[in-house]
Amino acid sequence: MNSAKMKMLDVRNLNKSFINNKVLKNINFTVNEGEVIAIIGPSGSGKSTLLRCLIELEEIGDGEIIIEGISLSGSEKIKRKMGMVFQSFNLFPHKTVLENVIEAPMVVEKMERKKAIEIAEELLKKVGLLEKRDVYPSRISGGQKQRVAIARALAMNPDIMLFDEPTSSLDPELVGEVLAVIKELAEENMTLIIVTHEMGFAREVADRIIFMDVGEIVANTIPDKIFINPEQERIATFLKKMI
Amino acid sequence: MDYILNITFFILKGSIITFKLYIVTAIFSVILGVLGALGKISGIKFLERILGIYTWVFRGTPLLLQIFFAYYGLPVLGITLQPFTAAALTFIFNYGAYLVEIFRAGIESIDKGQYEAAKVLGMNYRQTMFRIIIPQTIKRILPPSSNEAINLVKDSALVAAIGLGDLLRAAKVIVTRDFTILPFVIATIFYLIISSVIVTIFKRLERKFSVYE
Repeated sequence: MNSAKMKMLDVRNLNKSFINNKVLKNINFTVNEGEVIAIIGPSGSGKSTLLRCLIELEEIGDGEIIIEGISLSGSEKIKRKMGMVFQSFNLFPHKTVLENVIEAPMVVEKMERKKAIEIAEELLKKVGLLEKRDVYPSRISGGQKQRVAIARALAMNPDIMLFDEPTSSLDPELVGEVLAVIKELAEENMTLIIVTHEMGFAREVADRIIFMDVGEIVANTIPDKIFINPEQERIATFLKKMI
Repeated sequence: MDYILNITFFILKGSIITFKLYIVTAIFSVILGVLGALGKISGIKFLERILGIYTWVFRGTPLLLQIFFAYYGLPVLGITLQPFTAAALTFIFNYGAYLVEIFRAGIESIDKGQYEAAKVLGMNYRQTMFRIIIPQTIKRILPPSSNEAINLVKDSALVAAIGLGDLLRAAKVIVTRDFTILPFVIATIFYLIISSVIVTIFKRLERKFSVYE
């Protein structure tokens, strides 16, 4: 960990229950500026729920989420420091690729259309989809949809990007193109938190891996300590199943 | 020939009331439908209950009864309405009730991922509803709304029951006077023309809104 860097995210004693089921148990971790965190673990371990709590798609039980030094308490401005990419893309089907990307800057930031289009075209170029700008999402592949979704999130200029299993609903041959875009963001030193089942990718891209099981953080360490002789039996068992 | 033109003109004059009623009902029942649908999904229990009773009553009783109530019943309560006003209000509330349910179902059919995507992009409730959810709803509610739009043409004939001289009543007047069924034939043609125009409009709309499928 590079402690000279700014602390982007600080999660303290986060707990969450669905009715009587504790889905997150005393979660503590920090993320520094420019760090890439991969959250891995078995299904139902609370990975996605944790991510969704960070961006207020789920209410937290107790605990505190501090983003760039400010406690998350429903303030719109703080929320906008984070962007999120979903497993199921969630593009707006009634809007073209370009319209998907310019929508939030125009509506939320009240940006001029011309300026928004400029930024959107730049981002679409970055994800390699500029030639699809006037196409509706139903006409492009899953991998392309997810790349548009990434561009759409980036258009709001977030400080932290959250990825919730970004490749899990993709055909295997389309996974690579999405991971390549995420990798590019990592290389640009963007702060990323990625929930993923792509072990190879996690190992390659992440600065740190958070391993979760039954609502707890089992390990929070550098990839090699997870993938080479993990200390915990749970991790070894999980990895054996994955690879 | 002159005779046919004469009675056609007479029936056409009667259809003015029909058209007026149609347009007033179409505009205000859609507004009522959108607001009611938003109310029904608002999570405000009291409002949802009131709207539930409203759609239950208006969808569960005959339109003719509602027209009678507005015209003959309300004066008993001290509210006297002109025939057209009584008819228009009844139609707006009756069709509004159906549209509330159609629009509500349409809104609820939109995937919750759309709300989440809008939320994480920083959109507020109003922006989410009016820019993301409702525009997608339109395509899904067009077919059921088209049914209602055609029903309204036919239901408009009910206003004759409170003495309004609409299209059908105008035809009936001549049938009774001249003892010929020709006016009914002309009325039939009028109704079919109006319905066809409406069907065509809705088909165009459906095509327009299916570009993104």
